Amino acid sequence: MTQLTIAIAKGRLQSGALELFANSGLCDTRDALSSRRLAIEDESGRFRFIFVKPMDVPVYVAHGIADCGIVGRDVLMESEADLLQPLALSIGRCRIVVAAPAGMRGGGQGMLRVATKYPHIAAAFFGARGQSVEIIELSGSVELAPVLGLADCIVDLVETGRTLHENGLSIVEVIAESTARLVVNRASYQLKAKAVGTLIAALEAARCEGVLQSD
Amino acid sequence: MTEPLSKIPNGLRYYFGQEARLRRLIEETSMSIFEGWSYEEIITPTLDYYSLFERGMGPLEAHQAFRFTDSDGRLLALRPDVTSAIARATATLFANRPRPLRLCYAAPVFRQHGQSTIEWRRESTQIGCELVGQNSVASDIEVLAIACEVLRSLHLDSGYVITLNDVEVFNGVAESLGFDSGDRDQLRQLIDGRNVADLESFLASRASAKDGRAISQLIRLSGKFEALARARGVITDARSIAALDRLENLWRIIESLALTDHFEIDLGDVSRLDYYTGLTFKVYIEGAGTRVGSGGRYDNLTANFGKSEPSVGFVLDLDALAGLLLAGNNAAMLAAPSERRVQCLIDNDDLSALFSEVIERRTRGERVLISSGEVTP
Repeated sequence: MTQLTIAIAKGRLQSGALELFANSGLCDTRDALSSRRLAIEDESGRFRFIFVKPMDVPVYVAHGIADCGIVGRDVLMESEADLLQPLALSIGRCRIVVAAPAGMRGGGQGMLRVATKYPHIAAAFFGARGQSVEIIELSGSVELAPVLGLADCIVDLVETGRTLHENGLSIVEVIAESTARLVVNRASYQLKAKAVGTLIAALEAARCEGVLQSD
Repeated sequence: MTEPLSKIPNGLRYYFGQEARLRRLIEETSMSIFEGWSYEEIITPTLDYYSLFERGMGPLEAHQAFRFTDSDGRLLALRPDVTSAIARATATLFANRPRPLRLCYAAPVFRQHGQSTIEWRRESTQIGCELVGQNSVASDIEVLAIACEVLRSLHLDSGYVITLNDVEVFNGVAESLGFDSGDRDQLRQLIDGRNVADLESFLASRASAKDGRAISQLIRLSGKFEALARARGVITDARSIAALDRLENLWRIIESLALTDHFEIDLGDVSRLDYYTGLTFKVYIEGAGTRVGSGGRYDNLTANFGKSEPSVGFVLDLDALAGLLLAGNNAAMLAAPSERRVQCLIDNDDLSALFSEVIERRTRGERVLISSGEVTP
């Protein structure tokens, strides 16, 4: 029997992804939901789940250590890893936005200072419109940067917008919509074609049910 | 502060002992197979004009080369591939040789990589062959059969898959949609990444619902022979259909050779359209997280050097093959040289006696170790 190793982004997507596996009837993920172990095998032995930081999901999958992964589109846009992404899932819906304090100057000829956890996305977005930017890479609490004067604006992920609002920032522009994606290693896609095909079909069916229910 | 002497540049490394022997063995095995199919070895310059690789690989790929300036100011590059130099030779040096030409090589290539790619090596060894001047299914099958023989001889035949596609299937579809080159490349990227969700939103504004469905089907069309039958259900333009006919023809022969276990049709494999013109294939082996080889037909390549002729070939990644064999602990491939050797003790008073004995033993083919005292093996 072919076992698939699935890398799941820890945090925001984790429980949603495991519920999706349970709803799809692929396997029982209750143990994985309650456990704090970083690698866990389902009872049938068909799946092994590993839980890693979102930015590390593309790394595990690109190297073929994990066959598949569940991770946000934002992370994929940032990582530039060469992966297949055959399925968009309905979980983890959010937006990648440019946000700034009210009355932000800039956007004109001058240099714009952008604080972000997503330096590639930010550089690509402003680069495409010919705007020179200084990218200031931070690893968290990005909203503070414009408030304290480290940057003019931020590029960040927004779910509800509450954090932005409470820090006096508002959305200037939406760069992209993001939901979780199923990603697959190129070699696994061919060498474990049957198991991967079954997984895609089951998750797709579960995704559609999820959409119907939430509607 | 001085750099420690132990440090070597990123992406480069030493090979020694078992691994070095294994690499040599893979090279020799492959080269003897090429020779068995009447391929002639060609050794190309390690340094060449950068413009050669721009012509040969396309500017994007050539961009990865390490570049230098020659004494006359022209731009040189450490070769990032071997095929470019071969294509130039076939169009110039070998212009008057009878066709087809069969050439093979095993040589290191050098590429720079961005920080984020999983490929860390900047020197890797390519093993490959090219069959130039013959456009026929026979030559496509010839190179596929050679690739299979190499993998079989390396005892890797239990778990490899070669995926087949013909880029004309995609080209036909893109042409029928009337896409410009920007849209065409974006379509290619989305199909290559099997990105159904983004493909659907990309096509929503650019193609009819019916065409959109046909294209999203391309992504899913992989499998054995039935994939071609399903493709015929959704793809209707003449150019694509001619390509499907060619693939079907090829598949029938693979079937008759009882090799279908090792082959898959994958119409979503559209990684390098600027380069390939017909058949393309990729080699995957269980245990390797990335592909270990690729090849196909590139009839336009030699045209860049002034003499257009059909060509087909493939390249295998020696490093990936060696990695698999090392990890697989294949005893037959990893056997160390015989431990039987004769120790010849150094006698400082009579070195000529010592070395005349050593030379005599070597003439008889014995393995010797010159030492100053008994060494336990």
